Amino acid sequence: MGGHREKDTDAALLRAVADGDSTAMAALYDRHAGWLHMRLARRCGDVEAVREILQDTFVTVWRSAAAHRGEEVGGWLWTIAARRLVDARRAQERTARIETSPMDAIRVEHESSVAAPSTEERVLAGLEFGEVGTALDRISPELRDVLRATVVDGLTTRETARLLGIPEGTVKSRAMRARAELRSALAHLSPTPLGGPA
Amino acid sequence: MTGWHAPDDLVTRYADDALPEPDAWSLEKHLEECGSCATRVSQAVRETAAGAVLADVRTAVLAAAPARRVSNARLWSPRVFLPSSRPRLARVLWAAGPAVRGPWPAAVLLVALGAVALAHAGGFDGTRPLLLAVAPVVPLAGVALSYGAHADPLHEIVTATPSGGLRLVLTRTAAVLAVSLPLLTLAGLLLPASGAPGAAAWLLPGLALTSASLALGSYVGCRTATAVIAGGWLCAVPARALAGHGGHPTARLAEQLSRCLDGAPAQGAWAAAATLCVALLVARRATFDHGEQR
Repeated sequence: MGGHREKDTDAALLRAVADGDSTAMAALYDRHAGWLHMRLARRCGDVEAVREILQDTFVTVWRSAAAHRGEEVGGWLWTIAARRLVDARRAQERTARIETSPMDAIRVEHESSVAAPSTEERVLAGLEFGEVGTALDRISPELRDVLRATVVDGLTTRETARLLGIPEGTVKSRAMRARAELRSALAHLSPTPLGGPA
Repeated sequence: MTGWHAPDDLVTRYADDALPEPDAWSLEKHLEECGSCATRVSQAVRETAAGAVLADVRTAVLAAAPARRVSNARLWSPRVFLPSSRPRLARVLWAAGPAVRGPWPAAVLLVALGAVALAHAGGFDGTRPLLLAVAPVVPLAGVALSYGAHADPLHEIVTATPSGGLRLVLTRTAAVLAVSLPLLTLAGLLLPASGAPGAAAWLLPGLALTSASLALGSYVGCRTATAVIAGGWLCAVPARALAGHGGHPTARLAEQLSRCLDGAPAQGAWAAAATLCVALLVARRATFDHGEQR
């Protein structure tokens, strides 16, 4: 009920933004920027990059609000932000590649610092949740990253490859392995009651 | 549209980045579709450490609106308004060369109108021979004013462009001829014949002299070449007639012109000369690509 009204308001806000209405943009920003920021921050450890991507996303909204065609505004915003995230990652890689070999060490360190906090902590916190959650926490962080990028974030194979810095073939094989492991993990879990010695 | 909304506890923990992946994923998917939960989560995130960054970006985003529009307008306006502020005709005339936009067309007009005025208002009946004697030199003056360092302040730059060289010379010569040929021939038609050849008789000689000056121009430069050719014509035809003996000067001029212009052999010779000069010009076309010789 409330959801319907919110959605209509979102579309109306976007129409006003397309006409250059700053108040509408402020309202749209207040409604969506917070969760977009959080979602981006969970996928990218670089605070400055997240800030730039968020700003880019909403600056893009000024320009392309008129091109919005009826889909959920939240999903539409995330699509823009996800593309920006992939682009930012590609640009980072390019600059890293241009810099000479001493910088490679920094690049490796940087990449691991991006990946580390978002996996470690979640493996620890995983046990107390439902079956899918437990199963997901059992599969390796690499497979989970591929699942998140393709299934949750709606990226294509190519975009996922760019985001994670791995070849496209690897994305495909990891996605297949992740599905297989999830299936077997769920099959393994379901007879066991929750909280048992899994 | 399930009617399900995220419990407060889930919202707070997501904002504190304390949710494990699977729950975060399902909440993120829900936020894409549910505006009211999006508002609550965004509110919760604003109250965390990210609030300062969010406020900064908000200011930047709102500032980007008017600035972007202004810069867009500035960026686009020259491209949008260029065609309308410089109409096509003006640009063509500009490209057609310095002669057409300088005092030269006024001079051509003056020659034509002067001849007609002299014949009809002044009652002077020798104007057509005079006009025919001067007419071949008029396009030469136009050509001299069209190409070369002395005629065009942008000459060096123009020569360096792909359309510089012979192509530009010919374009500008064509512009000169397009102005002078009809104007002078029309003026000749309005004059009494008085023993001189037809009003169109100067066309082939005019063409021949123009192409000769272009061909010679490939050796010595347009200005010198036109001066030589025009001087040669003036010495050979009008000057010799006026310096001769017996009869009225205009009658002698008419007689001399008839010898030079009238009849198939004379016109054929002029046509052959024009063809030869054009052939020489084509053979020497490369010299125009390297700028003027002198």
